[in-house]
Amino acid sequence: MPSTPVRIEALGKRFGDFTALQDVNLALAEGEFFTLLGSSGCGKTTLLRIVAGFLKQTSGQVRFGERPIDDVPAHRRNTGMVFQNYAIFPHLTVRDNIAYGLHARHLPAVEIERRVARMLAVTRLDELAHRRPKELSGGQQQRVVLARAVVIEPDVLLMDEPLSNLDAEMRVHLRNEIRALQRKIGVTTIYVTHDQEEALSLSDRIAVIQRGRIEQVGTPHEIFNEPTTRFVAGFIGESNFVPARRTGETARDGTVAFVVPGGARLRVPVRRLRSGDEAMSLAFRPHQVRLGPPADGASLNGEVVDAIYTGASVRYSVRIDPDCDVTCLALLGEDIVPLAIGARVGVHVPADAITAFPADS
Amino acid sequence: MSTSARRPSPVFAWLAARAGFWPVITLGAFIAVSALLVYPVYNILALSVSAKDESEHFVDNYVKFFSERYYYQTLINSFIVSIAAMIGAVLVGVPAAYFVARYRFWGRTFVRAAIVLIFVSPPFIGSYSWVILFGRSGLISGWFADLGIALPTIYGAQGIIFVFILQFFPFVFLMVTSGLRTIDQSIEDAARNLGSSELRSFFTVLAPILLPSITTGSLLVFVAAFSEFGTPIILGEKFRVLPVLIYGEFVNEFGGRPVFASALSAILLAVTTLALVVQRVAARRFTHGAITIRPLEVREQTLVKRSLAGAFVLLLVAIALMPVVNIVISAFLKANGPVLLAEFSLDSFRRIGPRLWTPLSNTLLFTTAATALCAVIGTAIGYIIARRGGFLSSSLDMIIMFSYAVPGVVLGVGLVISYNEPPLILTGTSLILVLAYFIRRLPFSVRSSVAMLHQISRDTEEASINLGAGPARTFARITVPMVAMAILSGALLTWSNTIRELSATLILQSGPTVTMSVEIFNEVVNANFGLASALGTILILLTFCPLIILFRMLGKREDVLV
Repeated sequence: MPSTPVRIEALGKRFGDFTALQDVNLALAEGEFFTLLGSSGCGKTTLLRIVAGFLKQTSGQVRFGERPIDDVPAHRRNTGMVFQNYAIFPHLTVRDNIAYGLHARHLPAVEIERRVARMLAVTRLDELAHRRPKELSGGQQQRVVLARAVVIEPDVLLMDEPLSNLDAEMRVHLRNEIRALQRKIGVTTIYVTHDQEEALSLSDRIAVIQRGRIEQVGTPHEIFNEPTTRFVAGFIGESNFVPARRTGETARDGTVAFVVPGGARLRVPVRRLRSGDEAMSLAFRPHQVRLGPPADGASLNGEVVDAIYTGASVRYSVRIDPDCDVTCLALLGEDIVPLAIGARVGVHVPADAITAFPADS
Repeated sequence: MSTSARRPSPVFAWLAARAGFWPVITLGAFIAVSALLVYPVYNILALSVSAKDESEHFVDNYVKFFSERYYYQTLINSFIVSIAAMIGAVLVGVPAAYFVARYRFWGRTFVRAAIVLIFVSPPFIGSYSWVILFGRSGLISGWFADLGIALPTIYGAQGIIFVFILQFFPFVFLMVTSGLRTIDQSIEDAARNLGSSELRSFFTVLAPILLPSITTGSLLVFVAAFSEFGTPIILGEKFRVLPVLIYGEFVNEFGGRPVFASALSAILLAVTTLALVVQRVAARRFTHGAITIRPLEVREQTLVKRSLAGAFVLLLVAIALMPVVNIVISAFLKANGPVLLAEFSLDSFRRIGPRLWTPLSNTLLFTTAATALCAVIGTAIGYIIARRGGFLSSSLDMIIMFSYAVPGVVLGVGLVISYNEPPLILTGTSLILVLAYFIRRLPFSVRSSVAMLHQISRDTEEASINLGAGPARTFARITVPMVAMAILSGALLTWSNTIRELSATLILQSGPTVTMSVEIFNEVVNANFGLASALGTILILLTFCPLIILFRMLGKREDVLV
């Protein structure tokens, strides 16, 4: 199946006074599964609809391969799109839904028959070919629209939160199916979602979008472990943010010392410093800390103010300062007894687990 | 360019390829609506302020109207009957809707269908039917006179108001019924739980939420009553209303006075337009956003309450349907002018036989043509308004909204003064009647298709575009099939409402283009009640047939009617 790299260059979109997208630059490799991740209203669907041709950008360019497509009408762009509400054609059977785009392309009947049959087999819809949409479950409808979008052999496959209307179990099931199908046909895919688990598990790369701007582009591993902005650190997974003050220059071991509330000194590797400011905010994940006896100057010491027992682990809130609680996740074993509320503990944070961002403005 | 001029290639295809499918359709619709509505109304306004010579001032016609009691009294009279009809329609329509929605009683399922029949039955047939029953030589008033009891007269203002209430309360009923559907049961439960009786809950909670439906329904009654022409001319006698005056001035035996009639039309139009603006503002202002999960339920009620509610509704429906039943019966009685004898006879049908063909075939032809135009163009305009932006689209929306306010009489006058001179002489042709019917019903077709399109997700059409189908193909293969039921039901309604059109028809028809409604009207005016009843029975039959199909098809969603 043909596949195309996609380039988005300096793209901007305004609706009246509202800026929906600003200076978006992305380069998608051939066959890449690329996810736009962000909360609702961040502009990710707007970007997808510009690529599909349903909206016209205010500035910038979109290219499929070397070809600019900005003046190509939506129905000539050859992008297969899967919509959030399925957008299944209610008056057509499963087979006719899938064949729709092939008829629009005036392919010979034999060719249509061949491609539809193959797609029905791939998506395991053979038995349902003559059903009407209202006789299908939500998951089946979603498979039909996926088949319908893929059978036209699009240059780019576009998916707008395709799983958000399904229940949790079906969501995980279809997620795997989408990934398998995409790998098999190797079509360049842009996937829009607000669900970070979906994004992390499906994507080759992710772009995190906030307020119409791209915050970070990277592999799921990079996005999760090497967030480049404070927003990404807070949005993907869970992070503690502790205010801190830089106390000196880079030491010989390549770390910088920070003082946090309570007086502890923490060292952060220079490569994990996102700015040279003096006042910073140190971010680290709850599961990366270790709880132990308080150690003056080396751990964040405080009192356990809350403990939520979940079986395999306990989530503690430790108040290291009247204004600052730190969340810690402790795995339980036979020899580890849960801490009582009111106990004094030290939170030990390994240097490699900390990223320093500019302090909150 | 030069090649396309030489070769007879279709202009449309050329334009569509250049400018896109929808822009061309939009422009076409805009031109059609402008020519049939904006231009005639403009001509009325222009003519009403024109002066023949130096001695006349451009406001002379208006000065004349407002300074002579003979003229301005008609405006006052119009207000009296319309406001009274509006109040009366609310007083019977709101309780009827509430009872049918909330109470279980015998005949409940039949009531909605009956109210729809009342809604579409030709108004002027209703009025002369009342004359047969309660007029000077009326059947029922005769019985009472024999008993020495003098019934209140059916003629004059009170008769008009009485008939208007019965004819137009379905507006209120249907609006309130659909309004009740949007109220969640929990709202009423909360009021009851906090200590309100059923009556108190109604007035403190339900009625305020229903206010947009009630105001919309009552203003529709007002506009309909204000524009109605058949009933006042049959029942009014010396009590004259504005539409009757317009007709009299325009179609006068001694040569009409189109300039003065234009001024009168402008005044009528001003009132109906104002009422429409009030309705829009009120509906917007009183609307409460609410989510309905569980609609209001039919409550278990005591037998007494149920019986009283049922009796009220059934009596109302029985009285309102009486004229229709009466017409059908009268058609099979022996007639001697206005006097009907209690003797079965097919005389009336035998006598209309030879004269039936022209009006019947005209009516069927005009109605079918207008219905087809409405279905096709109405759906396209609905699509433009619901799905496409831009200046032309929003202008179309405004014109369509405004066209609700244009009464049939006004439209008739406007079309005559616009198209009775070269280059385009349409007066007296069949075409002008088809066009008049088309433009009168167009807003209803447009609105139903807009409503339907708002219900279906835009995604489905975008999916089609995305799969490579162009705008025209998407409209034909995806949009139209999805709204097909709405288009069909809209067409059946257009048929029922068009076939009985009288006010514009009376002004626009000429001998060869006479219709059933005009023929009936003439027989009524000549007091040939037997013939009128036979013709009326045929017209009623033609009106009701599509509705019966519609009911079978839609499962009684009667609120699509208004």
